[in-house]
Amino acid sequence: MIIERILIFLLFIIGFAAIVAMPNIIKKIFGLNLMNAAVVLLFILEGSRIGDQAPILGDGVKHIVDPIPQALMLTAIVIGVCVSALALALAVRLYKATGSLDINVITKRLESEH
Amino acid sequence: MKALTRMKIMLTILILGLAVLPVLLSDTPWPVQARDYLFETAKSDTGADNTVSAIYLGYRAMDTLGETLVLLVSITGTMSILINLGRNKVDEESIGFSLEPEKLPRHSLRTNLIEVVASKLGPIVLLFGLYVMLYGHISPGGGFQGGVIVASGIVFLALGTELKTKLTNTIVLSRIESLSFLFLVLASISGVFFESGFFGNPVKSLQNISPNFIILLNIIIGMKVGTSIAVMCIAMMGGSHDH
Amino acid sequence: MIMHILILGLILALGVFTLASRDLLHSVIALSAISMLSALLFTILRAPDVAITEAAVGAGVSTVIFVWAIRHTQRRDEEES
Repeated sequence: MIIERILIFLLFIIGFAAIVAMPNIIKKIFGLNLMNAAVVLLFILEGSRIGDQAPILGDGVKHIVDPIPQALMLTAIVIGVCVSALALALAVRLYKATGSLDINVITKRLESEH
Repeated sequence: MKALTRMKIMLTILILGLAVLPVLLSDTPWPVQARDYLFETAKSDTGADNTVSAIYLGYRAMDTLGETLVLLVSITGTMSILINLGRNKVDEESIGFSLEPEKLPRHSLRTNLIEVVASKLGPIVLLFGLYVMLYGHISPGGGFQGGVIVASGIVFLALGTELKTKLTNTIVLSRIESLSFLFLVLASISGVFFESGFFGNPVKSLQNISPNFIILLNIIIGMKVGTSIAVMCIAMMGGSHDH
Repeated sequence: MIMHILILGLILALGVFTLASRDLLHSVIALSAISMLSALLFTILRAPDVAITEAAVGAGVSTVIFVWAIRHTQRRDEEES
């Protein structure tokens, strides 16, 4: 049980390191997606320990899994893809304005235009 | 200079690691009261067999309204950035994958495979998406899932066929999206007039609750999500000209 | 239990490959594979609604928008000093 949590924690840290340390904008957006995936995995993993059947009521269903984290994560996944779409549109706009995807080069070119 | 930046990055990652670490090391058991309560009363409160649907369309429908709003705002922002992108110049290379059949030169990468597979699979995916959307209250599925699958089906149709149908016209799809949001707001307010509160079921009979309200909400949300994502994808592929 | 650890380890390895690759199209395919493995893990953990959503959104819409963004910018991650 502790090993799974450590693996998810490593995925979260790798996503965060991508946002902070990588100079390419598209790699930063990859990092956002990885962090999102790590959080969703953690919630569903923790919520599934207290039962052993899917939360659809019917005949012979007695011991269902906790349905509340699943309802929260549905919203989280959709909002994650919305944020990614907007971020990618902004990244393409930056590329068309300055001609590069490297954040240091973009900063220098935008400063030298003013 | 490089060493200082590297040390700052290490420090940031270390601080984040220390902040998140108590989550890993806790061993308090997950509480079970919510699961027990929902197991008893979800079907008699909302009429749905799918407990997850009963939560996000019955007990916590306000969150669904907020999420639909976030989707609307983000798709509007993305579309407004997209439409201004191609306005300066039109380069010949970007028309190669676009959807205007008259302007389509025989690009070397566009083979028959795309047209045959996508146009034949499109209606099947649309049918599956409608099934997932309408049966959300008794089996896994619901508004969001069905909506995204319907959006994939519309993208298949747009990639595959040479016809210009109304289903791949961006003006028609964006009008359906705006109307769906209006219907969602109207459906949420209608509970107030029948003494059930905001987002309440307007038809509450005493015997057994029928899941009609959840089916209605599923259809509205599915139409909204499906058409908005389809509009964004079709505009990205270059087909946002008037038909 | 062993299945969970195996799939999570594979997701972690694909995540490292996503960030270390020079060709951005390879990274996008790895991100789509991470979504598919996540959907498999959600099915094993008895969460069918989340599995359908993650599969449809992660391997469908997200990959399409990433490929569009790479197409309009560059495909290789060049090192500029």
